[in-house]
Amino acid sequence: MSNSTTDDSLITTEVQTDSNDGRAAPAAGTAVAARDLDVFYGDEQAIDDVTMEIPEKRVTALIGPSGCGKSTFLRCINRMNDMIEICRVEGDVEFGGKNVYDDDVDPVALRRKIGMVFQKPNPFPKSIRDNVAYGLKIQDFDGDVDARVEESLKGAALWDEVKDQLDSSGLELSGGQQQRLCIARAIAPDPEVILMDEPTSALDPVAASKIEDLIDDLAEEYTVIIVTHNMQQAARISDRTAVFLTGGELVEYDDTAKIFEDPEEQRVEDYITGKFG
Amino acid sequence: MATENPNADGFGEVSRVRGILFEYLSFGASVFGLVALGVLLVYVAIDAFDLANASPEWLLTYFLTLVVPFLAFCLYSANDRDVTRRALVALGGGLVAVAVLFSAIEALLVPIPRLNWQLAYLFVVAAPVTAYLAYVGSRGRLGAVGFGLLGRLVGGVAVGLAVGTLFLVLDALLWFLAYTIGVLPAVGLYALGRVRSSPRARTAAAPVGLVGLTAAVFLRDVVATYPSDLIIYLWTIAIPVAAAGAFLVAGRRGRTAGAVVGGVPLAAATAGGFLAAGAGLPAPTVLLAIVLTGVPTAVYVSRVVDGGEGLAGLGLPLLLAAGAIAGALIVEALGVPAPNPWLDASFLTQAPSRTPEQAGLYPAIVGSVIIIAMVAVLSFALGVGTSVFLEEYTPESGALGTLTRILQVNIANLAAVPSVVYGLLGLGLFANLLGLGIGTAVTAALTLSLLILPITIISAQEAIRSVPDDLRRGSDAMGATRWQTTKNVVLPEAMPGILTGTILALGRAIGETAPLIMIGAATTVFRAPDSLFSRFSAMPMQIYTWAGFPQADFRYGVVAAGVITLLIILVGMNGTAILLRNRAERGS
Ligand SMILES: Nc1ncnc2c1ncn2[C@@H]1O[C@H](COP(=O)(O)OP(=O)(O)O)[C@@H](O)[C@H]1O
Ligand SMILES: [Mg+2]
Repeated sequence: MSNSTTDDSLITTEVQTDSNDGRAAPAAGTAVAARDLDVFYGDEQAIDDVTMEIPEKRVTALIGPSGCGKSTFLRCINRMNDMIEICRVEGDVEFGGKNVYDDDVDPVALRRKIGMVFQKPNPFPKSIRDNVAYGLKIQDFDGDVDARVEESLKGAALWDEVKDQLDSSGLELSGGQQQRLCIARAIAPDPEVILMDEPTSALDPVAASKIEDLIDDLAEEYTVIIVTHNMQQAARISDRTAVFLTGGELVEYDDTAKIFEDPEEQRVEDYITGKFG
Repeated sequence: MATENPNADGFGEVSRVRGILFEYLSFGASVFGLVALGVLLVYVAIDAFDLANASPEWLLTYFLTLVVPFLAFCLYSANDRDVTRRALVALGGGLVAVAVLFSAIEALLVPIPRLNWQLAYLFVVAAPVTAYLAYVGSRGRLGAVGFGLLGRLVGGVAVGLAVGTLFLVLDALLWFLAYTIGVLPAVGLYALGRVRSSPRARTAAAPVGLVGLTAAVFLRDVVATYPSDLIIYLWTIAIPVAAAGAFLVAGRRGRTAGAVVGGVPLAAATAGGFLAAGAGLPAPTVLLAIVLTGVPTAVYVSRVVDGGEGLAGLGLPLLLAAGAIAGALIVEALGVPAPNPWLDASFLTQAPSRTPEQAGLYPAIVGSVIIIAMVAVLSFALGVGTSVFLEEYTPESGALGTLTRILQVNIANLAAVPSVVYGLLGLGLFANLLGLGIGTAVTAALTLSLLILPITIISAQEAIRSVPDDLRRGSDAMGATRWQTTKNVVLPEAMPGILTGTILALGRAIGETAPLIMIGAATTVFRAPDSLFSRFSAMPMQIYTWAGFPQADFRYGVVAAGVITLLIILVGMNGTAILLRNRAERGS
């Protein structure tokens, strides 16, 4: 994974061949849409008038320099920003055609339809089985829990490694395995959207590439929205890419190939070729 | 090149004098404190067990029959040549060194009161080496099995006695009804819900249990017939415990093994309960002690036999019992003068008396155990509830946030309020205003709970705060409600810390005297309390009273016996709590 900023075009051409297998860019419905979204922390604005539509069953990458509001945007989708007392959101975020900031939306119920994977793997200090079954437990799931656990672990490409130790603690796994466990936990209740906030930045390259392969598979069934500051990663795994720049401004949002080969904006080109940011 | 190096003479030196001085000063201070405490405990033990009158032959006999076999067991289990060599050098060298040193001090400096070199050897060398070897040996396979069995035997008896003691004041009939129509159906429904994985049965469990409990309270006054105590304990405690043991074993080793593990102790306990009445012992307590010892022991033995390793370790209790009996027989046969300990069975089972020989601590032990049990439950529930509210439910800003901060500061201050003041509060609030009575067990328990509440709250808050936010966010993002996150993620993770705080606080509560004096607790009672509203005394109160008696036998012998009893009960309770905590730690 040698990172040289000069041959970006090379990376992207390579990308085009091995990613996006059969998933032609547009034509899908819209899973999540932001309209005139502004987010403030106290007086400081973190998202500035963002409007974008995120397609269903595709991988959408959010890239940009740190502090530009990528995580904040992600947290608006499942209203995790509600937990931050000083955070204030204006504008709409639509999920399944409904504004999640409407008064009649219960954020807890909303989060049950949207899975989330964090930067640092955060499995619960419980057994592997209990970790995966967590979402089922809190939703009083009626069906066969063990079957669902197995299915989710397979979906997260972890089953073969842990099938004999489902009762040992999730903390005994390696970092990469823990992150896949968190993915299994997120997909077990069968959400519609999976949000990932730099899911590989705390992992070694081998573990990271496993997660990247996994994300590609996940897009068959789920809408994946992933924040990353690794541009090659965005290029490799995503169908659509949104570039945020400082101040929380969405500068360009297009098919990944277009962004990396021929961006409209000079600032975007500077950013992805490493001239700033 | 090196010639140009400005550091050719080294890098100079940095003074460490102050650091070293500080290190040795603090080391010296702690050693001084520990040694002073150790000397005190040695003298208290000598008084309590009348060891000053033990002849060297008596000490030697028990050393050979009891201590040496035990040490051999530990060394065999440790199976480490280094340890054996070190132990022998310590024991043998210590023997010579203590004798020489002791004689020298006696001859050249000052006579040492009520201590001879045999006792000094016992306390300074034999006891620490034995403790060390017990520790080392318990880590071997054999020792782990032996000490595990010993722990279950002793622990089972202790828990059985404690439960029996609690039922001196708790209403057995009420418990019988509550168990039959509340607890049992609720647990049954819950278990059914788990097996059939039907959430409806599980949710129904709590309301069904509550309705049953409420009904029990009403029925209590209506029901005219009273099943015998024995039947109540058999039905509500012995049978469920045996069933749980049987269930545990049946899952792994099949039905027959399960039936044996549950059935044999149950039969023995029932027989013991019926026979006890004839022997003049309290039947329910005997039943409880046997069943609570027998079932865990049987489960443990079955597990060890299954594992097939360290089977010989199961002989440790036999080894110790045989040693004690052999020692007693030899002492009897040789007719060597034996000490007459103040702390003996009659001290633990008799009421206080005017003569030191007949004085006993029983009513005060019962009083203390009951109060501590109530304090533990109350302060744990209140402490966890308050700290969860303060940490998880209140916002950081706004009016409520300010209120929380004010509360927070006040709780911290309350922890520093002297205990007499709490006594006064208990007297005014619980005894007078709520009419719970002056010097009753409830008043005392409530007062002491209030006294340690700030400590439990603060330590529980600390434990809850140390749960990483990552875990909370992870749970929130799964769509858990605040309560679900607290219950499933925060509390299990914080539980070891919460328990540590509660254990420390309970240690303080059990030794308190000042608030008990303020609420009018009796210094001496001659009958154990038999309801929550009867007058009681607690161990520290009774000990304090004895210390003021004019007879020297009271001030030395009886007080020492009381102190040792108090310490043993305290250590036992803390030990149990620590075991529970470690289990919670491992469980997570
Ligand atoms: N909890 C918070 N409280 C206050 N300010 C925050 C908080 N989280 C993020 N911010 C601010 O919002 C801006 C965007 O942050 P973030 O969304 O984390 O950026 P990114 O994920 O792109 O690095 C930053 O200026 C940051 O300081
Ligand atoms: Mg971020």
